[in-house]
Amino acid sequence: MNALPRFELFTLGDGEKMIEVVEDTKIPNAATIRVLKQDHTLANMIRGYMLKNPKVLFAGYKVPHPLEPAFILKIQTDGSATPVEVLQETCNTLIALITKVKGKLGEQFTQKELEVGLEEPFGAPG
Amino acid sequence: MDEIDPRRLVQIHPERISHVSSTDYPGHWPGEDHTWDLAAFRNNLRLDIQRLTPSTLDFDLVGVDASIANALRRILIAEVETIAVEKVFIWQNTSVMQDEVLAARLGLVPLRIHPGRLESWVPDATATDANTISFQLQVSCTRRPNVSRDETDPSVLYENSAVYSSSMLWQPVGQQAALPDWLADPPAVAAPDIVLVKLRPGQEVHAELHCVKACGREHAKWSPVATATYRLMPHIRIVKPIPERLHATFMQAFSPGVIGRRRTEGKKAGEGEWEVYVKDPRKDTVSRNVFLHPELKDCVKLGRVRDHFLFTLESAGQMPPQALLPEAIAVLRRKIRVVSEALEELMHPTALEEEEEAGGKADAAEEGAMDVDA
Repeated sequence: MNALPRFELFTLGDGEKMIEVVEDTKIPNAATIRVLKQDHTLANMIRGYMLKNPKVLFAGYKVPHPLEPAFILKIQTDGSATPVEVLQETCNTLIALITKVKGKLGEQFTQKELEVGLEEPFGAPG
Repeated sequence: MDEIDPRRLVQIHPERISHVSSTDYPGHWPGEDHTWDLAAFRNNLRLDIQRLTPSTLDFDLVGVDASIANALRRILIAEVETIAVEKVFIWQNTSVMQDEVLAARLGLVPLRIHPGRLESWVPDATATDANTISFQLQVSCTRRPNVSRDETDPSVLYENSAVYSSSMLWQPVGQQAALPDWLADPPAVAAPDIVLVKLRPGQEVHAELHCVKACGREHAKWSPVATATYRLMPHIRIVKPIPERLHATFMQAFSPGVIGRRRTEGKKAGEGEWEVYVKDPRKDTVSRNVFLHPELKDCVKLGRVRDHFLFTLESAGQMPPQALLPEAIAVLRRKIRVVSEALEELMHPTALEEEEEAGGKADAAEEGAMDVDA
């Protein structure tokens, strides 16, 4: 009854921005970042790898309500970088990490088997 | 077995579990540097395929955090896109199954179509040959002549007494008929022997099925896996030698094949000739039965290796299992990249404004968001 139509769980609506940053006035070098249309899949990864960054003093996330597709990330750094910069670094870290995993996967399969899985349907209509 | 760093272990006690969260981040261990390092990560990362069949893939992923393994699992279940029946246009249905029930069953039939062949379905789109595949289902049941009077088996008495998924036939639409690779490997159902509905003479089903591409989050019929699961690698350490009279009890307390028995090195006949050792912890289901025996429970320490994931993927038929994992990794990269690009725009909106032409009301809105401080 209260649930959104399913495609709204991952599609941004008109005029909606994916990321909003609110600086924290009471704590130095802290920010609250609200990310729309994403869930624990992404949030837990970002939080986990942000903790491995020595500039970060505090990192945590929550999904305020399971019926609303968004999560809030709270970050506090030690001052050598802003929270948004640290988030950017973490995203780059994660992309590098996933690329390494993909490389290991490629080593495991023979080239022929991988091609069967990843073949591009050249000549797709439209 | 004992070369595993004890910090990597989740400890399993008779009534509880401890040391669940990972502790290898900066600031937890004083004097040690646990900053994440790509080179060290690459050295520790291992991905070993254990078993590959046409439907299942078992592999080990070692060296990543639980959040990555969980993200891969969630993406495999819900965010890898496949193609399934979405709209069913029923011209005739005189069977005993209601239209909507039949339509629901048709949606759940797995289709062996490479997802790259279609564009993803967007809400309120028109159906074109670029985003829709059409199947036809037309079956009617008739009585077979010349069947003996005492026959009771409906498959002998009637023609088409059951409608199987093999009756779903691809109807090329528009440009689809002209593509050589589509004709060489035409869209078809993954399993031809799925019973859709049962008929008797005089009943007929005639429907046109439109299939689109979407992901499991929209509806479970689009999920490419029967399921994707992982478990952590069990770890058993024998801390005190087990007396010979308890060897059989000890071996039976674990799943078969986990504990083995061999002659002790350097001991001849007599006391201590045989010893038990941990042969294959992977087979263990961690039932903790060993803690039921008072004389054995202090002899072992049970645990699980926190960053060693034993994945099992079972494909539902749309794609072979070895194709699922690269797709999942590509989806994961895309998700992070979307966030990364949104952050870029947030941090440097002026750079984009100069590149784009006028009509930057989106950028103006971003500037507004930057000014809204608590």
